[in-house]
Amino acid sequence: MMPATAEDDLQALVAEGELLWTRSADPGNPVACATCHRDPAKTRGWAASFPKFKPLPPPHSRVMTLLQANAEAVERHYRLHDPLPAATAITAFLTAQGAGVPISPGISDGQPIFPARMEQLAVSVGRGGRLYANRCGQCHHASTVAPSLTAFPRVVSGRVESLEGFLERHQSLGHSLTWDGPAIGDLMAYLASQMAGRPVGLPTYRASQEAREGS
Amino acid sequence: MIRVVLVACLAFSLVALGLPLEAGAATIITGIVKNEAGKPLAGLALLEKGEIHNNVWDRGTVVGADGRFRIEVPTGGQYGLHVYSSGHIYSPEAVKVETGKTLEVKVLLDPEPMRANTPVIKKAGFFPYEARQGKVTFVKLDVEDPNGDLGPQILALNVATGRAYAMDPPKRIKDLKANFPNGVYQIEVDTSKAPINPRDWHFVVADHQCNTSDILSFPHEPKPQNVIKVTK
Repeated sequence: MMPATAEDDLQALVAEGELLWTRSADPGNPVACATCHRDPAKTRGWAASFPKFKPLPPPHSRVMTLLQANAEAVERHYRLHDPLPAATAITAFLTAQGAGVPISPGISDGQPIFPARMEQLAVSVGRGGRLYANRCGQCHHASTVAPSLTAFPRVVSGRVESLEGFLERHQSLGHSLTWDGPAIGDLMAYLASQMAGRPVGLPTYRASQEAREGS
Repeated sequence: MIRVVLVACLAFSLVALGLPLEAGAATIITGIVKNEAGKPLAGLALLEKGEIHNNVWDRGTVVGADGRFRIEVPTGGQYGLHVYSSGHIYSPEAVKVETGKTLEVKVLLDPEPMRANTPVIKKAGFFPYEARQGKVTFVKLDVEDPNGDLGPQILALNVATGRAYAMDPPKRIKDLKANFPNGVYQIEVDTSKAPINPRDWHFVVADHQCNTSDILSFPHEPKPQNVIKVTK
């Protein structure tokens, strides 16, 4: 038997995300992501559109990464105490589904553009730029770090890792960041702003044909 | 000839200034509501003014048996359109309409797979406030959610005025993402000019997991909740 490769592990993560997307983890409430968001033509552009301003009941609205938005939704709908593993798998699935779509923070194909949301995103990018300069800029040039946005979530030595989790653990100047906090949303919004037009996801990202085209 | 040229110049000037030629054109959000099989669904269409989920409820209307609805809004801009139909999970969608234009949307609703955790409207009532000589009437709704995760969507619609309301909870809730309590929700309605006609009032409740109650309309007698059989 051949040992599992990193690509196999990634495909397993994508498959797990697809399962979580289509079936609720809460047996008491079978409303799943796909119950409302079942049209791949609409969700295919999601990965490319993050980070973006996510409207939530006040005062919770803010710029979020795809993982953060998924975690918020998974926590609310699936009632999971630790939403991170499920949110990471769903993020991998949506990244695979949207692989190749040009990155366009704040803008989803076929959806209206809301100026107030774009303004909030621009403010977040500004904050992220300052944060990057203070925390990361001394060691890493932003243009070389930004492409790593397309390489996450990933599986390294069998361990699933999101970029938000990596940034939380990565040693840098200043106070530590949390994967689900607004500062990481700002930081990734800044990096994504440098990637506009580049395709989402590494070539290793593949979703099932059904997920990409609909059943 | 000179008159024709002047009219043409005036029209060109209006266009150049960005002014609408047809002054006073209504701003309308209209649409059709269907299930996956293409069957039109009756229900309610309610709007939040501004960003979706801000809980600032504005206008609303009844969705007819033909699945169609039409809401005239005072100005263009951003709205949160929420569509409800008994037995179905409600649909929230952020929309943008330009002033003087009509936005047409298509809404597809899915049946709720089960109703065990669906909020229930136990009772609705209209109570004139005697201390203010009938100038105020309290509209009250007794609501219960089996799994205790009610959200701020305890909603009322007065079709006579086209006004939608989020009803006030039994105790003040600061965080709209918090679980709202079971109990009696109410709104205070100005009835100084006209009394309330209960026939005009419709109610619907949705929880944080999107489970949606059946719509309660006149005569406001709750029935067992609809279970839509899915035939695929």
